[in-house]
Amino acid sequence: MTDLLNDPFVQSSLLPLILGAVAVGVLRLVGGARTGRLLAPAGIALAFLGLFILVVGLPAFPPPSSMGKLFWSAAGGLVLGLAADALGLKGRPVSVAVAVWLVLALGWIAGPALDSLAAAVPLLVLLAVGAWVAFGGSAPDGHSPGSSSAAAPAAVLLALALAVGVTALIGSSASLAQLGLALTAATGGFLLWNWPTERHVWGASGRVALGLPLLLAAILALYTQVQAATLLLALPALAAEPLRRRLPIPDTGFGPALGTVAVTVLAVLPALVAIAAAWALSGGEASPY
Amino acid sequence: MKKLLSAAVLAATLVGAPAFAAPVAYKVDPSHLSVGFIVNHLGFANLIGRFNTAAGELSFDKDAVEKSTLSVTIDTTSVDTNHAKRDEHLRSPDFFNAKEFPKMTFKSTKIEKTGANTGTLHGDLTLLGVTKPITLAVTFNKDGVSAASKLETAGFSARGTIKRSDFGMKYGVPNISDDIQLLIEAEAVKS
Repeated sequence: MTDLLNDPFVQSSLLPLILGAVAVGVLRLVGGARTGRLLAPAGIALAFLGLFILVVGLPAFPPPSSMGKLFWSAAGGLVLGLAADALGLKGRPVSVAVAVWLVLALGWIAGPALDSLAAAVPLLVLLAVGAWVAFGGSAPDGHSPGSSSAAAPAAVLLALALAVGVTALIGSSASLAQLGLALTAATGGFLLWNWPTERHVWGASGRVALGLPLLLAAILALYTQVQAATLLLALPALAAEPLRRRLPIPDTGFGPALGTVAVTVLAVLPALVAIAAAWALSGGEASPY
Repeated sequence: MKKLLSAAVLAATLVGAPAFAAPVAYKVDPSHLSVGFIVNHLGFANLIGRFNTAAGELSFDKDAVEKSTLSVTIDTTSVDTNHAKRDEHLRSPDFFNAKEFPKMTFKSTKIEKTGANTGTLHGDLTLLGVTKPITLAVTFNKDGVSAASKLETAGFSARGTIKRSDFGMKYGVPNISDDIQLLIEAEAVKS
């Protein structure tokens, strides 16, 4: 059993998938019929933190390193999301709270690396994506035919985490790779609950989860030798939901299920392009040794 | 009369006693400094690595080694295990996090003599922003004028084991061992 838990492949796939699905289910149950739908996406961040402890260990507090800051930022975000959703906060206050959390977390992680203008560029890009997470497209969009108000941002999260995870793997940062892939799998666990019928709402907890790949990308870009610029190619994933709306998805019983599949494919495609670019730049060699 | 005699004895003792040697400043010679480490890989075998860039200063008191002090700074980006991809991984946040923590330092706090030419070196190791006390077994090999450089030189060897998780380097434990053996060989030249 211990061997299984220590297996990097299990830690990056099956375990976070199960943990994510269980945590989402438990939060849905504990939160009740109304609040539980909002709290459920917090299961993604909860699974991520569990895997972090398993893969990297529980970091000291206050953390001396960026990895420790990542963990405690994620934990802080989880608490923020749960509190906001439990209190039933909506609209602008939630957006502002998530934005402040992201700015503080990214600034905390990036701070020691900001020794030049060039180093500030990745941070600015991440802050711009963070603004989208807090204020833009990750907010619930209503219930148009085939709409997937929780599944669409979850699909974007899955795609971004996948891009960060595999790019880290190509660039010899195993723990970041494992954490990125674990986040992908935990999001997969959430999506399983929301297919074919959507059961949850993407509130503050969901938006916090969507901020996690940005924190991972910050470490990847600022503290490793990885060519993280290729991750820019994954950003069209943010447009997956607007693109899905243009698809002629029938307004029938299968519409929402088909819509979720479509938005996931549309989000994952740019992530695969980013991964292919990272692979090509590495000379077609991952880091097995 | 008794007091006068005592004073005379004391004066004679002080004048006749050999002068106490003060600690002398030495610089660790980078071309004769080897900082190596041994780590167990999945239980199959031990891997040997080294740091190629390091510098240090020694304040050496030959007659009272416990008064000596040593400080060493190691460039973590210079880690070398004879495999480029693995070295890249070792420099990543999984291990030495070299972009965030480019230096690893050791500062001695106490030296205990355990034999004619051996001792225990106590000191603080700072790695990944965490400072912890460690101990190294030291063998003082030789001092004198080097036949090669014609400079006053002192040489010593040090061995010890640390737990990397104590410094927050937990990735891969236990598959990649927590215990890291340290091997240090150094020559220091009088400044």
